[in-house]
Amino acid sequence: MPAHAAVSDIDLFADDILVDPYPTYTALRDLGSVVHLPANDVYALTRYHVIRAALGDFETFSSEKAIGFNPMVNEALQGTSLASDPPAHTQLRATLSANLTPRALRGLGETIEAKADALVKTLAERSTFEAIDELARAFPLEIVADLIGFTGDVKANMLRWGQAAMEVIGPLNQRTQESFPIAGELYGWCSQVTAEDLAEGSIGRGIFDAEARGDIPAGSAGHIIHQYLGAGVDTTIASIGNIIALFGRHPDQFAKVREDLSLVPAAFAEVLRFWPPVHAWGRRATKDVEVDGVLIPAGAHVAILFGAGNHDPRHYEDPDTFDISRNPVDHLSFGYGPHGCAGQGLARMEAHAIIRALATRLTSLEVDGEVRLPSNITRSISELRVTATV
Amino acid sequence: MKIELDRPRCEGHGLCEEAAPELMHLDDDDDLVLDVVEVDGTALDRARAAVRVCPVAALRLV
Repeated sequence: MPAHAAVSDIDLFADDILVDPYPTYTALRDLGSVVHLPANDVYALTRYHVIRAALGDFETFSSEKAIGFNPMVNEALQGTSLASDPPAHTQLRATLSANLTPRALRGLGETIEAKADALVKTLAERSTFEAIDELARAFPLEIVADLIGFTGDVKANMLRWGQAAMEVIGPLNQRTQESFPIAGELYGWCSQVTAEDLAEGSIGRGIFDAEARGDIPAGSAGHIIHQYLGAGVDTTIASIGNIIALFGRHPDQFAKVREDLSLVPAAFAEVLRFWPPVHAWGRRATKDVEVDGVLIPAGAHVAILFGAGNHDPRHYEDPDTFDISRNPVDHLSFGYGPHGCAGQGLARMEAHAIIRALATRLTSLEVDGEVRLPSNITRSISELRVTATV
Repeated sequence: MKIELDRPRCEGHGLCEEAAPELMHLDDDDDLVLDVVEVDGTALDRARAAVRVCPVAALRLV
């Protein structure tokens, strides 16, 4: 006979928790692997093994009308690969990820490396620079803009559109309300974008060509563009800011990468494990399910807490230590299973290029003035001053 | 045990090949090729690592 879940009265989306969720993650994890949060009307999954199992079990933990924490965004996401389960999910996912596989991106590798190196070189010459606008945001925005073929006005909107697209996945708080119209602008633009709006030779233009050929369903090109921008900007920006901040806080770890560039992938994996960009993501229980002896009732909204799982001492020894030699290839920050981040190949290419550029161009890197502003879903640094020596 | 690939799920991320290069590899078309299917002993440990690391859960051991 399954037990009732432990209960906590915290609000997952309170400002102070969003800025630093880790003490809350620890408290919830200690209460149980499943904790009922009445304030958010969710069952939170806190420990590594239950999160990974749930992400792999789409039949029990559905993505339909479940990803976000308000009904409007879940309504808007209907029919997307994000918010579908297999079998409907399978084809939607295939068309989305076709352009994001390591093979599809192989041609971009040199460009991404060269751009990362050029950017870091330019910034390093200044010796002191603001790392978020100038690097963490600038780099992914340029890469994604080139990939999709955005030009002009659209390029100028990418950052706020990408931020809003993630913000509206949160509950109906003020941040979400303020972001709805901005997210709506993105949606509206993607609904009317045509091939000619995108640069020739870009992957974005290629998606429209595929639609014209009948390789993908009519009307799906705009949706794919929308998902690339919505999912591929805010999160990558967060991860790059985190790379810089963590290397700044842990110069010994930065030194290890500088001495051995083969550690670049391990470094990124540990940055992602330590500070996952995504705070919470939703699922819905399709039936009564017992998780670690606790009942989650059919229909319950479930909140996946990636950062809680990534810091679970039951899975990672000394989890609150940042240590790149750990090489945590099984971290939860890209999710897992059928909905595992489709863009992770691109994210790795971008991040590895930045880490390599920092490690080869700089002999030291110090950080200060770190500012984090609360955001419902993406946890990122908004300002960070870097002092670097070449 | 046998390594099994759910081919439609595979997207060529290649983390499996990094974990167990002697057991599998991505070919020139970035399709996964299982070079070894029956595994035990140390090979089984490596296969487990590859199964574990696949981000889209496309591999399993039966």
